[in-house]
Amino acid sequence: MRDDDLDRILNREEILPSSGFVDSVMDAVRQEAATPPPIPFPWKRALPGLFVAVLVLVSVLVSGAARLTPPVPTPQLPGTSAFALPSLLDAARFVGVDWIVLVLLLTLTSVVFSMRLTGAKA
Amino acid sequence: MSASEDEADVAKVLAGDISAFEGIVRRWQSPLINLAYRFCWDRARAEEMTQEAFLRAYRALGSWRHDAAFSTWLFALATNLYRSEVRRIPASTVSLDDVAEPRDQRAVDGGLEDQDRDRAVRRAVLRLPVKYRETLILFYFHGMDIPTAARDLALPEGTFKARLFRAREILRGKLPRLLMAPRLKEES
Repeated sequence: MRDDDLDRILNREEILPSSGFVDSVMDAVRQEAATPPPIPFPWKRALPGLFVAVLVLVSVLVSGAARLTPPVPTPQLPGTSAFALPSLLDAARFVGVDWIVLVLLLTLTSVVFSMRLTGAKA
Repeated sequence: MSASEDEADVAKVLAGDISAFEGIVRRWQSPLINLAYRFCWDRARAEEMTQEAFLRAYRALGSWRHDAAFSTWLFALATNLYRSEVRRIPASTVSLDDVAEPRDQRAVDGGLEDQDRDRAVRRAVLRLPVKYRETLILFYFHGMDIPTAARDLALPEGTFKARLFRAREILRGKLPRLLMAPRLKEES
């Protein structure tokens, strides 16, 4: 068998499009054209909130780490207070920062999830 | 098929006249369906894949840069889609080992029925590893024009030739009696 034979075997069978093919394609194209474009995610509005969420998350992580590590005695610098950080943490606990962080994390998760969903559809 | 007609229709579609896309579909439906058919050997699936190719072409019409012919762009887009579709859902579940050569040797020497031989070769082609199968399909679809076929696959010509050679080697190994004496145009 030569190259021409292989060519004949693979190309001999010419098929014709079915009669309604063009209409079917054009229907799909018109449907596509009629579909409104996906709404872009409002990054400008969401960014400040996300930024705050990240800040809070970092602060909570830092405070968590501070709780876990044993206090290391450090020489006190003049003009600073050794009790500044613990009192700050107490204050944060008092206003319920833990819950706020939890809610923000949930919000962030839902935003990311919805973005992924819309991204997959687009 | 006129390139200027394509250009004019594309310009109209981009300007908002969707019906101009029909001209593109009418001009290219047959070649695209036949190309799809060679990827799957299934008429209904070939039409489905071609419809999807046209739809993608419509969506991406604005990305055609005019540095290549519209047909080149369209074929590259369609080929890419057909390749991924056939990778996603393989065209055949028949194992290459099941591609039986005729049991009766005399049939080959004396004249095996053309239909059986063609079927055996096609099945063997379908069972080739994807990269070799698509190389072979495009080579013959484009009338053994290596530069055009390589462009559709976005491959350097050297790589394309190497794959083509390997594809034939595999075919020859699977169908030794049918492919006794391959003689390739570009080798001669």
